[in-house]
Amino acid sequence: MAITPGTANATPTETTPPAVAPSVPEPFVPTRIMPTEHPSEISRLTPIAPQPGKALYRQVLPGIMQVPADLLLAASRKSSLWPMTFGLACCAIEMIATYMAHYDLDRFGIVPWPSPRQSDVMIVAGTVTKKMAPAVKLLYEQMPNPKWVISMGACATNGGPYTRYDRVLQGVDKIVPVDVYVPGCPPRPEALIDSFLALQDQIMEERSSEGRGV
Amino acid sequence: MVTETAPEFETQDLLINVGPQHPSTHGVFRMVLEVDGEVVKELVPHIGYLHRGAEKLCENNDFRQGVGYMDRTEYLAAHNAELSYVMAVEALAELEVPARAQWIRMILCELNRLSSHFMFFGAFGVDVGVFGTPFVYAWRERETLIDLFEEISGDRMMYAYFRAGGLAWEVPANFKERVHEVLKSSRQGVKDFDGLLTENEIFIARTKNVGIISAEDAIEIGMSGSSLRASGVNLDIRKTEPYLFYDQVEFDVPLGENGDVFDRYYVRLQEMEQSMRIIEQCLERLEDGPIMPEKMPRMLRLPEGQEVYIRTEAPRGEYGVYLVSKGGNKPWRLKVRSACLSNLQALRQMSVGQYVADAIIILGSIDIVLSEVDR
Amino acid sequence: MTTDGTTPAGDESEASVAELVDTFENTIWPSIDRVLAGVDVRPERGVLDLIVHVPRADVVRALRMLKQGDELQFNYLRSLTAVDNEADGVDVVYHLYSIPKNINVTVKVTLPADDKVLETATTVWQAANWLERETAEMFGIRFTGHPDPRTLLMPEDMTDVFPLLKSHPFAEIELLQGELLGHERGAGGDE
Repeated sequence: MAITPGTANATPTETTPPAVAPSVPEPFVPTRIMPTEHPSEISRLTPIAPQPGKALYRQVLPGIMQVPADLLLAASRKSSLWPMTFGLACCAIEMIATYMAHYDLDRFGIVPWPSPRQSDVMIVAGTVTKKMAPAVKLLYEQMPNPKWVISMGACATNGGPYTRYDRVLQGVDKIVPVDVYVPGCPPRPEALIDSFLALQDQIMEERSSEGRGV
Repeated sequence: MVTETAPEFETQDLLINVGPQHPSTHGVFRMVLEVDGEVVKELVPHIGYLHRGAEKLCENNDFRQGVGYMDRTEYLAAHNAELSYVMAVEALAELEVPARAQWIRMILCELNRLSSHFMFFGAFGVDVGVFGTPFVYAWRERETLIDLFEEISGDRMMYAYFRAGGLAWEVPANFKERVHEVLKSSRQGVKDFDGLLTENEIFIARTKNVGIISAEDAIEIGMSGSSLRASGVNLDIRKTEPYLFYDQVEFDVPLGENGDVFDRYYVRLQEMEQSMRIIEQCLERLEDGPIMPEKMPRMLRLPEGQEVYIRTEAPRGEYGVYLVSKGGNKPWRLKVRSACLSNLQALRQMSVGQYVADAIIILGSIDIVLSEVDR
Repeated sequence: MTTDGTTPAGDESEASVAELVDTFENTIWPSIDRVLAGVDVRPERGVLDLIVHVPRADVVRALRMLKQGDELQFNYLRSLTAVDNEADGVDVVYHLYSIPKNINVTVKVTLPADDKVLETATTVWQAANWLERETAEMFGIRFTGHPDPRTLLMPEDMTDVFPLLKSHPFAEIELLQGELLGHERGAGGDE
């Protein structure tokens, strides 16, 4: 069934978007919740909006020594990302394989850390079911800023092979904001390493703009 | 082993919630412990955090597509999971599987038993407290096995290599030499684990006489596999209801004596040695030939009104597939009889009265894989 | 594959053509018939095991008779599940195994689609506890007398959703956050 891009969201009641693309991206406001059938899930499955923050040194000394400070902070953050071990399903096994000696992740400064209070990255590895979704949201909120989310595997990206079952959340980006998506079922350890490198590049790029949770 | 506290030292019972995110729950499993001091008074397990509906989704898919869902149901022993499913489809379609395919299936299933038990040792060692060394050893052995599986089927974990009727494609030309290499390194790995843990005083003190379940209780509650054999019950489906060519190879079934955590560990260690014995015998008997039957229908349509329950001995216990077909090319009902679900029912009985730290290693010794519990 | 004594299909062709009635003589049916003396049972030849159909009111009594006694000793409940036949009702299926005798049998009960109530088998085997909880929440069956009738795999407060019934639909594929793309209904369906 071909889906033509362009006819998406073309319901009669919506207005057409403006012809000129805006220079500053619009802030994300979660207005719609997912279609669920059960009333008990409406409050449990609302998404968390990403919160752009303002670092203390910027508030106190705006503009002074900002570029080298940004560079230093971004470089130190990207070199020591501590992921929270959040393996849910089969992707967890490949995540563990990436931590182990064959495809070492410790050489990038990445140390698995069980506690959310002291970790930087949350690797959602595996299928998130609607029963598990409140726990994922709680853990995301418990992580201190700056934090990032890597959505590992097809199930965390959009439901994966279980996308036709209604007890499965079709993608973890429906409840937490995601930075890097890793395709695969399960993704190879090299793919996970690639995603960490992409995340490091992203951290370096967004050091001067007020990215997520700076 | 657990002494009672003196009456003037009254404490309040504490409710501890372990999971669903916890480093030692082997996945998304949640248990609520009611604890008096350190002694577990009540344990309520909560599962379903990984219920992904493999059974319902298989009703929407062709018979050939079900193999992928079976892989993901038991991801550490995917070949054994696929085997039950393809055997069920073959039983209903009355397909005759050629001998070479059966021998290769046996070899791959036993190799998968090895890799699954290595993962058990790694995770169990972490639970007991030996943080690091068994885990890394386990993964070193698993990587050699997974490299072999990748050469054969193309994937590290989700093989989808067994098909109804035989195998997907022929194994590579150096299959026998590769399996011999892998066996040599696995033998060394088993010896390493044996030397590291089995006679370690602290390990024995932590695991002996902990989490005991008697043979009658285990049968009553429906346990199967190594956990049942550790209680002394001689029930191995490869011996009682042989499938593939298990009645033509010689192997022993190790049994435990007490049904405690140490027995469950030691039974698995001995099972690995027996698996290697089986693989060597299979390699000798492997002959050339086709891997799919000649008259293989393109579209698999099964007869109406038939059902079958196929059970095989997966590393975790009895993995059964109950397949009901009402004609057409999709199953009407596919039920996966999960070994881990039945073994997990015994957790409460084994843990009440033990210490909190023992509850963790009892959970580890049952060797659950949550995606099989929740399907 | 070795079985529990059911004859392969080839032997039946040797019987006379006029004799279309299967007497089940070479199976364990005679012993089952003897043990389940007061119960109205009907056998069926399955692919591997013998299938025994039992009426709804006598299920637990029949299961207990199969478990106790020295002749059959079905002391191991392998699996307990249900099959939704839409208009024909729901079949509850028990797979039993006898460890001392190494024999298998499948017991089937048919419940009408509008009255899915059955007595619990936890008084016979403890293994039925979680298996019945799962079957109950997936098919909407109520097992009377169950010691712990909570949901097992579904969330605790979702007691009115039964996923494995054929009337429960598959989910639509959600492509954007919370929105369906503008394609026709049923397009994300088969295949």
